[in-house]
Amino acid sequence: MTATPQDPGPTAQDPGPAPQDPGPAPQDPAAAPRPAPRPARWWTLLGGDRFAAAAAVVLGLVLTAALLGPVLLGDAAERQDLRASLRPPSLDHGVLGLLGTDVLGRSMLARLIDAAGTTLSVALPAVVCSLVIGSAIGMWAGYHGGLRESAAMRVADVILSFPSLLLAVVALYVFTPSVANLVLILAITRIPVYLRTARAEAAELRSRLFVDAARTFGAGSGATIYRHILPITLPTLLTVATVDFSFVMLTESSLSFLGIGIQPPDVSWGLMVAQGRQYLQTAWWIAVLPGVAIVITTVSATIIAAWARLATDPAQRWRLTAPRARRARANRGETPS
Amino acid sequence: MQPPARPPLRGGRPRALAAAAALVALTPISACAVANSDDTGTTGGGEGTLRIVLAQEPPTLDPCDASLTATGAVVRSNISEPLIERDPTSGELEPLLATEWHRTDPTTWRLDLRSGVTFHDGQPFTAEDAAFSIDRAVHSDVACNVDGYVFGGTELDVQTDGAAALTVTTAEPDPVLPLRLSFIEVVPRTTSTDAKVRTPVGTGPYAIDKWETGVSIALRRNDSYWGDAPAYPRARYVWRSEPSVRAAMIDNGEAELSAALNPEDATEDNSVAYPNNETTALRLDGTQPPLDDIRVRKAIGMVIDQGAIADVLFAGLADPAAQLVPDGVVGHNADLRAAPPDFTAARALVADAADDGVPTGKRISLIARNGQFPRVSETAEALQYQMARLGLNVRIQMTDSAAHLEYQLRPFPKGAGPVALLIMHGNQTGDGAFTTSQYLLSDGPQSTFGTAALDERIAAAGALSGDRRQDAFAAVFAAQNDDVAQYVHLAHMRGLLGRSADVRYEPNSATGDELRLADVRPAHRKGS
Amino acid sequence: MVTFLRKRVVSSAIPLLFVVFGVFCLARLTGDPVNLYLPLSATPEQRAEFAAANGLDQPVLVQLWDYLGQIARLDFGESLRTGQSAAEMVFAAFPATLQLAAVTMLIAVAGAVLIGCAAAYRPNSPADRVCSFLSMTAASIPDFWFAIMGVLVFGVTLGWLPTSGVTGGAEVWVLPIATLLIRPFGVLVQVVRGAMVAALTAPYTRVARSKGASEKRVVFGHALRNAAMPALTVAGDLAIGLVNGAVVVETIFGWPGIGKLMIDSVLQRDFAVLQAAVLLTAVTIFTLNILIDACYALLDARVRQAAPA
Repeated sequence: MTATPQDPGPTAQDPGPAPQDPGPAPQDPAAAPRPAPRPARWWTLLGGDRFAAAAAVVLGLVLTAALLGPVLLGDAAERQDLRASLRPPSLDHGVLGLLGTDVLGRSMLARLIDAAGTTLSVALPAVVCSLVIGSAIGMWAGYHGGLRESAAMRVADVILSFPSLLLAVVALYVFTPSVANLVLILAITRIPVYLRTARAEAAELRSRLFVDAARTFGAGSGATIYRHILPITLPTLLTVATVDFSFVMLTESSLSFLGIGIQPPDVSWGLMVAQGRQYLQTAWWIAVLPGVAIVITTVSATIIAAWARLATDPAQRWRLTAPRARRARANRGETPS
Repeated sequence: MQPPARPPLRGGRPRALAAAAALVALTPISACAVANSDDTGTTGGGEGTLRIVLAQEPPTLDPCDASLTATGAVVRSNISEPLIERDPTSGELEPLLATEWHRTDPTTWRLDLRSGVTFHDGQPFTAEDAAFSIDRAVHSDVACNVDGYVFGGTELDVQTDGAAALTVTTAEPDPVLPLRLSFIEVVPRTTSTDAKVRTPVGTGPYAIDKWETGVSIALRRNDSYWGDAPAYPRARYVWRSEPSVRAAMIDNGEAELSAALNPEDATEDNSVAYPNNETTALRLDGTQPPLDDIRVRKAIGMVIDQGAIADVLFAGLADPAAQLVPDGVVGHNADLRAAPPDFTAARALVADAADDGVPTGKRISLIARNGQFPRVSETAEALQYQMARLGLNVRIQMTDSAAHLEYQLRPFPKGAGPVALLIMHGNQTGDGAFTTSQYLLSDGPQSTFGTAALDERIAAAGALSGDRRQDAFAAVFAAQNDDVAQYVHLAHMRGLLGRSADVRYEPNSATGDELRLADVRPAHRKGS
Repeated sequence: MVTFLRKRVVSSAIPLLFVVFGVFCLARLTGDPVNLYLPLSATPEQRAEFAAANGLDQPVLVQLWDYLGQIARLDFGESLRTGQSAAEMVFAAFPATLQLAAVTMLIAVAGAVLIGCAAAYRPNSPADRVCSFLSMTAASIPDFWFAIMGVLVFGVTLGWLPTSGVTGGAEVWVLPIATLLIRPFGVLVQVVRGAMVAALTAPYTRVARSKGASEKRVVFGHALRNAAMPALTVAGDLAIGLVNGAVVVETIFGWPGIGKLMIDSVLQRDFAVLQAAVLLTAVTIFTLNILIDACYALLDARVRQAAPA
């Protein structure tokens, strides 16, 4: 998303920005005078950026919770105790009572961990499916142009103007409600976003010299797209995907608000916020904690994505490796060196 | 960096800004037409206006749809009136547009009508209007909701007898005909019989002033009303589907009365609880294994902790139930009480059934409707958890109204497997016949099964009147619990009416269906 | 340019038919409205009569054919729920949504350009970090949560704003707009910032600087012009999202818009209204897309040459 298709920056002339290649890019202000002696490892880069490091830790925790939670918790997330209804967060009721209980007396901590798995198993596949399908069609359409491009774009228009609510209701009440159906709907409704972005970039690239050259040398369209267009388009698409990650989680939550999202006894953060909204005045922790979980997860994902973008872009990487003082100077708008 | 005060002046066409502006200009900014469409201001009419916030906009205001909650709340006894009304507290029938009624022979009722009543448009009310209203509700093509609701196929013959009397003849003797007639709102004979009317004319204390679709309905006092004049010269209805927003409107002084609040938002200052006549229950489909075994059905009844559900989930705004009708309805059996849960005995019953080859592990769908009552999905989760403790395999399915109706009404969906349906039954009529014929007859429209013995009892009870009717229906409800166990009763519910300190109004069991504006008075805070 | 627009309008006709077709069939998959509109105790004959009166007893293909015929005569049918003309209901609701969307996008775009540029001017500075963090947070807050908190805090506790509704002056707009705004604003700030970071380090910017152009001109003249394209793409997607559904905001604040109308007609199986509403929003979205493409063309002549036929 942050890429500028018409930006004649260094990446555009460089068909494959190799992530591990520290070689001085021609315009790179930092690397030019002092070529790095050896490739900077990704963890070194990560360690150099405290925010990115913190974000990575948060994401790691969320992933661990999602994967190991069910094993560690047993049935703690389902265990009800109506006498323990709506206990505020406290230290008096063991680990499971740390974050309080919901109206059915279930441990909020256990439910948050349990919900992490469902949330990710909706959001990740939905984002990945729409990313893969949307980008593939988009690049294909943009590369070929003409009728194929028009057709693909009109399909995107059709999907965009279709109410996702109707799709959700159909999936819920006509087919059996399941996580898979929800993933399908979210994926379908997000395809146009990738399709349009990929198409725009590919359409812009297809007239570039290196693409022309590949074509002249007889490379097939599939190979050209894969080798020359994909690498340049990918960073943008991945950035779109990170933003979309939060969008998908929020859409799932909004569907729960309207009663057509994840169905209990399955639980996701979005459903927890939606169900907890009625307790905002009396038991804040029920709606606020899962909301915070959504926010910190998506913010961490965005930070990591921004960092990964810098780290894989030779023209920008100096911002991560350069010593602090020089970075500060650069940040003031003075050209370093 | 300097804050950008203005776009660059010289050269370099500011295309980015132009593009941004163009994008925004795509959507017509047609001034603030919507927001300022009502000049009466935020408070919706200022002094002298009673402001009510409903849960949803009424689909129509046609009086013959008054048995729909959203329509009835606005129309009934405010805009139009019935011939006879039922006092929701005592259950007695009271005269309204009819002053007197009596049975002249087993199938004929005669009603004397009030004189000196006029409709909002100035026409006088006569027997012809009364006959027309009954005909329109029961016989016309308007597809009146009230028709099926209380008449359900009954044949009626209505004749006028002069300008002030009416005779109604039924094919079969009908001891509760006056009660049925209390559901028909009277409209002038000029009302359309082909389509529902959007802004009806009636005889009530208020007349429709303006219905701004999607925004509000404004009423003004009918100054030629035959009864006592209501306190407020104007009334205004708005609707918000989010209960916490409705509560906030009362707290913020934006409304005086509000439909159903959630217990979480209710305080003593903004609300008042009232029995709303609704009873929640779990209907078990006795035609499908494992629910076709009475031991399994009874075990479910024994394991459910109605007390905890009523106290915790319904926030004490409910009483554990052991039958489908609350106190006050003819047929309520005072001897039936919800027993405390007995896990061991229930477990033993299920084990017994399993030993006899009942497939107790088969998946049961527990179906509930979103928005059925506050905390419905939590209730479903509690029921599922408690049933699962018996070793039953229960899966929750939350639906919307349309999908819920598919399961609620005959013919039931095929291939759905065993279904435990969470229902909420409100007997608006005050007579057990309406409940039993719907929910307990073997072929009742909302009943999955029954027994021939129970059917006979119900039929016999329907022909009786007075105390014998009461006892007969009470025995029917006891028999359902002992011999049929189609229903696991949860609770008799209480509703929460949002009420600001500025008004005096005592809700009763009918408040959810008809909110009488004439009963609302301003509170005299200076201690008068 | 005129040819381009004409071609786009013509090529949008077939997809619109697909939308009509798809909504028609999917809506009928959601079940039968008969039970919803008749009382629980209605007899089977009454149900059959109701279905016949509303054409619901016909096979779906026959119904579709009749519907297409109706549309050709610009008759969009009647609402089962209210008995009003579906077209009338939809046209009454649409302006409310459009106004919300327009005001929201105007504020979001203007604000995001200012803040995004400011943040990008010194990437990774504390101000940039704070701004990025806040915009990311804003973009990931559930809107209904934000709306209800707004009602409780500004409506009830502080008493500054009305809780909901549309009657009144500018104050009734504040909470709905704020709720709708958070996400587009958060996303756009990030997009503008990202694009501006890239644009400000690009060679042409350095060339402009070396020629002695003022900083203001470098930022708003050169860099922003190049950064506008991705911002436009994203803003377009966000605008489409707003047109198609401010459902949550409309539901909470009682705003009589098309999103609320749509969800109500889905839940009430009010097919005629749903179809009319989707058709109207689809036409709007197609128009919006054409205009966005026209903006691209204005922004960059290269796109015009390569524009799809």
